[in-house]
Amino acid sequence: MLIEAVDLVKKFDKKAAVDGISLSVEAGESVALLGPNGAGKTTTVNMLTGLSNPTAGKILYNGKVFDSSDNTIKREIGVVPQHNNVDRDLTVEENLIVHCKLFGIKDIQKAVQDALDFSGLADHKDKTADKLSGGMKRRLVISRALLHKPKVLFLDEPTTGLDASVRRTLWSFIRSINKTHGCTVIMTTHYIEEAEMLSDRVIIMDNGKIAAEGKTKELKDSIGKFALDIYKENEIETIHFPTRHDAIAALENITTEARIREVTLEDVYLKITGRRIDA
Amino acid sequence: MNGIKGVLYREMRVLKSRIYRNILASSVSPLLFLLAFGYGIGRNSSVGQTGYIDFLIPGLIAMTSMNQSYGISSDINISRFYFKTFDEYLLAPVGRWEIITGEVIYGIIKGLIPVIIILIYGYIAGMRHIPSLMIVPALLIHLIIFSLLGIAVALKVKNHGDQFAVNAFVITPMIFLSGTFYPVDKMPLVVKYLAHIFPMTYTTSLIRGSVIGIETQYLVNFGISALIAAVLFWICMRIMRGMEP
Repeated sequence: MLIEAVDLVKKFDKKAAVDGISLSVEAGESVALLGPNGAGKTTTVNMLTGLSNPTAGKILYNGKVFDSSDNTIKREIGVVPQHNNVDRDLTVEENLIVHCKLFGIKDIQKAVQDALDFSGLADHKDKTADKLSGGMKRRLVISRALLHKPKVLFLDEPTTGLDASVRRTLWSFIRSINKTHGCTVIMTTHYIEEAEMLSDRVIIMDNGKIAAEGKTKELKDSIGKFALDIYKENEIETIHFPTRHDAIAALENITTEARIREVTLEDVYLKITGRRIDA
Repeated sequence: MNGIKGVLYREMRVLKSRIYRNILASSVSPLLFLLAFGYGIGRNSSVGQTGYIDFLIPGLIAMTSMNQSYGISSDINISRFYFKTFDEYLLAPVGRWEIITGEVIYGIIKGLIPVIIILIYGYIAGMRHIPSLMIVPALLIHLIIFSLLGIAVALKVKNHGDQFAVNAFVITPMIFLSGTFYPVDKMPLVVKYLAHIFPMTYTTSLIRGSVIGIETQYLVNFGISALIAAVLFWICMRIMRGMEP
């Protein structure tokens, strides 16, 4: 097991932002922590990356206990924070060089050139970071996190605030990191589609706890394969069925507007927590 | 040492991009103080055997270089709260002492910029003394202390407002009570005692002594300053160890 978190708790004052979660991630996996804002996803990532220490519980990397002062393990971790934390006064190239120096990369020139090629920012290397578009800044932050060739990459809400077309471009970018480079990816998101597209396994978080986890298909199948949405006056009632045939049979008895569709992770979240993910 | 190299590379690039603004900031304020205090008030005055301009210039060096090196607190503050670039340092496999040391070296370099400018002002204004070599350790310990103070404040405050409060209630009184413009021993008894709380009293005395040669307690003041620097480094390390975003 590459990463194992056991009974992790993080309290701010007396409130638990993360409340006794345990999870494990295998090398090469792509895992999404899915949940609404305030579910505890970022706090979990902060603990797993050593940016903050747990109030209780422990984190193990390859069986070795990890804390924020463990520089050997930190060398294996890449982090893409939610905020595009690039230095706006520095050029694209200088931003990458800072990271190379911090991580003690020997051949800085080659590492920077590789990152520029991978991110498609080679033509913009002399631009100050404040001149880049949102999507370009994001690519810079992601390629910067990969400079030291980490074994595991954490992405915190990688596409929040970006428009749909940029988001799709970034999805292929992130997929290639996991599938082509074999880097383990752990990402947080509150976008259902993003979790489905990018991860082999989803961990659904709610109020600092893990509400459910499993492969996307398994999670969806656990509540049924098809959903029947019945449009009522002020609400939509959803019923889940194991087959399309069952859903069609149920539809025949309904007199109001209704539609049949495939079950999504949103349905899983709604079923488990009683709320929609964007509520 | 990767932490020192990374932090210093970043800070020097930022300094380079703002160098003209920085030189301007280091030039205007001491010039105004020199005009107001040197020409306005003290043109024909003297402190003991020393002309007031000669007395004032080391004070202005201490004040302006302190402002520059302590000013790294604003840079750190902005990188912590607004741009979140400070998190990059915390995520890197480097010792927290390396981050502090990198920032201190940056603070020293930043603090040295006004020294040259003020010395030029001084000679134009008629200063007669030439600094001895003792100015090097005096400036170093002075800039180390205020860089460390800047780091400690920047890492401890919870927002930009807190930073302004520290500036208003600590830094400004310290500038006026630490012998920058007047000799501390000519001040009322209470103020005289109060002055000895501030590290700048000792470092201003060291800088003045190395410029105009009236320091009789160089080693004592240097020892106290070194002790203050050690305590501040320890405080910075404690804050850094418990630091979270």
